[in-house]
Amino acid sequence: MKKLNRRSFIKGGLATTAAAAVLKETKSEASGDFDNYPEGMGVIVDLTRCVGCRSCEAACNKEQGLPEPAVPFDDFSVFDIIHHGEKRRTDETAYTIVNRYDPPEIDHPLFRKIQCNHCNEPACLTSCFVNAYTKTPEGAVIYNASVCVGCRTCMIACPFYIPTFKYSSAFTPRIMKCIFCYDTRLKNGKPPACVEACPQEALTFGKRRDVLKIGKQRIRETPGKYVDHIYGEHEVGGTAWMYLSSVPFDKVGFDTHVPKEPIINSVKEFLAMVPMVLTIWPGLFVGFHLLATRKDKIQELEKEKELRKLKENDEKEEQV
Amino acid sequence: MQTRKKFMRTALALTTGTILFAPIHLSAMDASDAPESVTIDSMAKLYAPVEFDHLMHTEYASCEECHHHTTGVQVADPNCLRCHANTPEADEVSCVGCHAADRFDDKYLATLDDPTIYHIDKPGLKGAYHLNCIGCHVIIDGPTGCQDCHAMTEAGEKRFNTGKHAPAGGNTSGAHH
Amino acid sequence: MRLFSKDRPEIPIVNHTKEDGSAWTIKEKLLLGLSVTEYKKQFFRNPVNWFMIMIFAIGVPLILGRYAFGLGWVTHASNDYPWGLFLGFGLFGMVPLSASGFMLGTTVELFGRKDFHSIERLALLNGLLGYFFAVLFLEIDLGMPWRLPYPMFVSLGPAAVLFLVAWHVATYLSVQVAEVLPALFEWMGWLKGKRIIRKYVLGLTVAGIILSTLHQGALGALFTYAPAKVHPLWLSTNFQWLHFFVSSIFGGLSMVIIASTLIKNFMGWRCDEEFKANLDYVTVGMAKGASLAMITYLVIKLVAVAHDQEWTYLLTGWGSYYMLELGVAVVLPMFMFAFGVRNNWVTLIRFGAFIAAIGIIWNRLNTSLVCYNWQMYQEIPHWKEVWITVTIYALYFLTYRFIVYRLPIVYEWKGER
Ligand code: SF4
Ligand code: SF4
Ligand code: SF4
Repeated sequence: MKKLNRRSFIKGGLATTAAAAVLKETKSEASGDFDNYPEGMGVIVDLTRCVGCRSCEAACNKEQGLPEPAVPFDDFSVFDIIHHGEKRRTDETAYTIVNRYDPPEIDHPLFRKIQCNHCNEPACLTSCFVNAYTKTPEGAVIYNASVCVGCRTCMIACPFYIPTFKYSSAFTPRIMKCIFCYDTRLKNGKPPACVEACPQEALTFGKRRDVLKIGKQRIRETPGKYVDHIYGEHEVGGTAWMYLSSVPFDKVGFDTHVPKEPIINSVKEFLAMVPMVLTIWPGLFVGFHLLATRKDKIQELEKEKELRKLKENDEKEEQV
Repeated sequence: MQTRKKFMRTALALTTGTILFAPIHLSAMDASDAPESVTIDSMAKLYAPVEFDHLMHTEYASCEECHHHTTGVQVADPNCLRCHANTPEADEVSCVGCHAADRFDDKYLATLDDPTIYHIDKPGLKGAYHLNCIGCHVIIDGPTGCQDCHAMTEAGEKRFNTGKHAPAGGNTSGAHH
Repeated sequence: MRLFSKDRPEIPIVNHTKEDGSAWTIKEKLLLGLSVTEYKKQFFRNPVNWFMIMIFAIGVPLILGRYAFGLGWVTHASNDYPWGLFLGFGLFGMVPLSASGFMLGTTVELFGRKDFHSIERLALLNGLLGYFFAVLFLEIDLGMPWRLPYPMFVSLGPAAVLFLVAWHVATYLSVQVAEVLPALFEWMGWLKGKRIIRKYVLGLTVAGIILSTLHQGALGALFTYAPAKVHPLWLSTNFQWLHFFVSSIFGGLSMVIIASTLIKNFMGWRCDEEFKANLDYVTVGMAKGASLAMITYLVIKLVAVAHDQEWTYLLTGWGSYYMLELGVAVVLPMFMFAFGVRNNWVTLIRFGAFIAAIGIIWNRLNTSLVCYNWQMYQEIPHWKEVWITVTIYALYFLTYRFIVYRLPIVYEWKGER
C-alpha cells in the first residue's frame, strides 16, 4: 500500500491533467460569445397598435400545426383567465399568446403579444448541454428535438419564460417553442405567420437593425406617444423581437429586472474558475499529500536504508 | 391577382377622376372628386370584402386625414409638414399606390435598404387600412369589432376555430368586445 | 437483530470460511449466513420493512405510470417551475450530502490521517450511493431518460454548466465505484482486483477532489442561469458555486455522522470493535471540520449579500425567511458542533448533524423551488411527485442497508490476513 507513492502518483496526476487539458479546450471554444448576425431579422411589436384580435395566435396555431385550441381564437374571454395569479402564458399548445392589461394611467387596455424573443445570445441555447438550440443567421432560435434529453434547463434559463415542455407525452416529449416560422417561412425570406396575419401591423418585420431604426423613428417623431425605451434593444444582450409601449413596460407585464447583459455573463464567473481548478488542484493537493505524509516517508526510507544495510551486511558476511 | 387588378382599376378610376376634375395639379381635391363607394377586396380571404362607403366617410374626415399629402390638401401633422407643406396633388391617391401589399417580403424589404429613403416605416396595405380605420373609429366611437366591417369567411372560421369549425365543447358564440 | 445469537459465532460473516473450515458461498453470504426461512423471518419482523413495503406498494405503480403516461401524469406539468422535487431534492439535495466520499478520501489518503480510516469506507459508500441515486432521480425527471448518454456521446454542448455536471458526475461516479470496489472484492475474495485499485487510489482521490469541487460548484452555478428568477438573497452570480461547494463539505460530513449513528444504534452487530471504538473520536473530528466549513460558509454568504448590496432585502419577509434558514440550518448546528467538540458531547454533535443535513436540503429546495420565481406564485408539488420522491429515497435506504449488512464497510474483512 505504501508502494503507491511517487510513480502511481504521477500516473494519477497525469490522468487528471490530461482530462484537464481536454476539458479546457472544450471550454475555450465555449466562451459563450456568439457572432451577432448583422443580417438577422427581427420584429418590433408596437403595443399601441395591437387591438387584441388574436389573429396572430390563430395564424401561429395553423402554421405550426398545433393542437386545436380549447376555445375559438375569436373568443376574447380568454383575456380574463387568471391561473395561479398569472395571465396566460405559452404552453405546449401555443407558441404565442396575447394578453390584455389595463394600466391605470390610460383609459383603454393595452395588449401584449408574447412569443420567443429570439435573443442575440439566447439563454436557452447557452444553457443546453446537448446543443439542441441554434441561432440561425436569419435571426431565428430554432430547436432540434432529436438530441434533446428533456432536462428543461433551457426553461429555467430563458428569462422570458418561453420554452415549454410537452409534459403530456410519455414517449415523444419535447420542448415546444416559437421558432420564428424558420422552416416554413423565414428561411425563404418570408415573414412569420403572425406578422403576416396581424391586421394592425403591430408587428413590423425586417432586419433587426432596420426595425430598431423604425422603432427609434416612431419614438422620435411622435413625442409623448411612447415611453422612450425599446424593450429588447439591450435586454439580455438584445433580442430580435423588440417592443414599443405607451406606458412603462412593467405596467404591461414585462420583466424590467432582467439583466442588460446576456444571461451567460452571469455564469461566466463560474466557467472562468473551471480551468483554474482543473490545472491548479492536482498540483496543489499532490503537494499537500507529500507534505502531510513526509514523516511517514522519511521513516519508510530510513527503514529501507536499514534493510539494505542489513542485506548488504548479510551479503558481506556470506562472501566472507 | 384578380382582386389586385380590381383594386388597381379602382385606383385608376380615382386617378382619372382626379385628372378630369382637376386639370391644374396645384389645386386640391375635395370629396366630390372621389368615388361614392369602394370595394376593398384585394386581400379578402379570411374575411369577406369590405364595401367602403367613401362618400359617407367624407362627412367624418377631411381628405388629408386619410390620404395624407396626396390630395393636395395640406396635412396637419407637423412631422409631415416638414417636407409636405406645399406638396401638390399626387399622381396616385389610392391607398395601394403607396402602401405595399407585400410589405414584409424580402424583395420589398430590400428596396428599403436605400439609405436615402425616409419612409422606411410605411405600413403595408392591410396595416394602413386597419390603423387608419380603427384608429379613427376608436376616437369617434365607430365600429371596431372585426366582423363589424367584414364578415368572416369559411376560411376564416377554419383559421379561428370558430363558427362551423369551433372546437367541440368550446364557446361558439365568437363573443366580440 | 436478535437472530444473530451467541450460539452462531460464524454470524455475522467476516470471513471466507465457516467454523467447520468450508467456504461460504456467495448465496450464503448474500443471505447473511441465514437460511431462507430465517432470513424471511428476520425481514418481516422488522417494522421498518413493513413501512418500506407500504411506500413501495403505491410508489412503484406511480413510477411505472410516470413512464407509461409521461411526466405530466405525476407532476403539475408546470412550465413556470420546470424543476420540481425530483431535481430540487433528488439532485440538488442528494449530491451535497454525498460529498463525504471525497472529503474523507482526501483526509485519509491525501493528508495521511490514518486515524479516520475506520470511517473512510462508510464515507465512500455514502458518496457513491448518494450520487447513484441522484442519477436515478434524474432518470425519473428527464423527459427522455433513454437519452441520458446524449450529452456525453451524441451531441455535445460544452459551454453549458450542465454539461460539466453531467461529465463530472459520470466520471466521479466511476471514481467512487472504483473506490468502493475493494470492499466488494474482499467480500468476494478476489484479491487481485483489490490490489489493482489500490495502486490508483491516490490518483482517484485527487480526481475526486477536482471533480467534486467542480460539480458541487456547478450545481450552484446552474442557478446563475436564472438571475432574474431566483430571489437575490439565494443567488449570487459571483459566489453561488462557492456557496454550494462549501455547504457540501459540512453537508457530506453531517450525512456520514448520521449514517454512522444509525448504523451504530441499529446495526451494532455489523460493526467491528475498531469501528465502534473509534466512532466517537472520528465523529468529533468530523464535527470540527464541519463547523469550520460552516463558519466559512456564513462568511461567504455575508460577503455575497454585501457584494450585491442586498441589505434592504434582509428587512423584507424574504429576508426573515433567509435569516431563519441561516439560523436554523447553519448557525444552530454550527454551535452544536462547536460545543460538542469542546465538551466531547457526541450526542449533541449527532443531533447537530441531523439538523445540518436537513438544513442543506432545505437550502437547496429554497433555491430551486421556494425562492425560485419569488415574484410569482408558489408551486406546491403534486402528491404523486412527493410519493415517488419518497419511494426512490426508500430505495436508497434499502440499498444502503443491504450493502452495509454485507460488505466490509463498518468492519474489517478477516479473510486475507
Ligand atoms: S426568448 Fe427565451 S427561448 Fe427565446 S431565444 Fe431568448 S432565451 Fe431562448
Ligand atoms: S430540455 Fe432539451 S433543449 Fe432544453 S436544455 Fe435540456 S436538452 Fe437542451
Ligand atoms: S394579430 Fe396583431 S393586432 Fe391582433 S392580437 Fe396579434 S399582434 Fe395584436
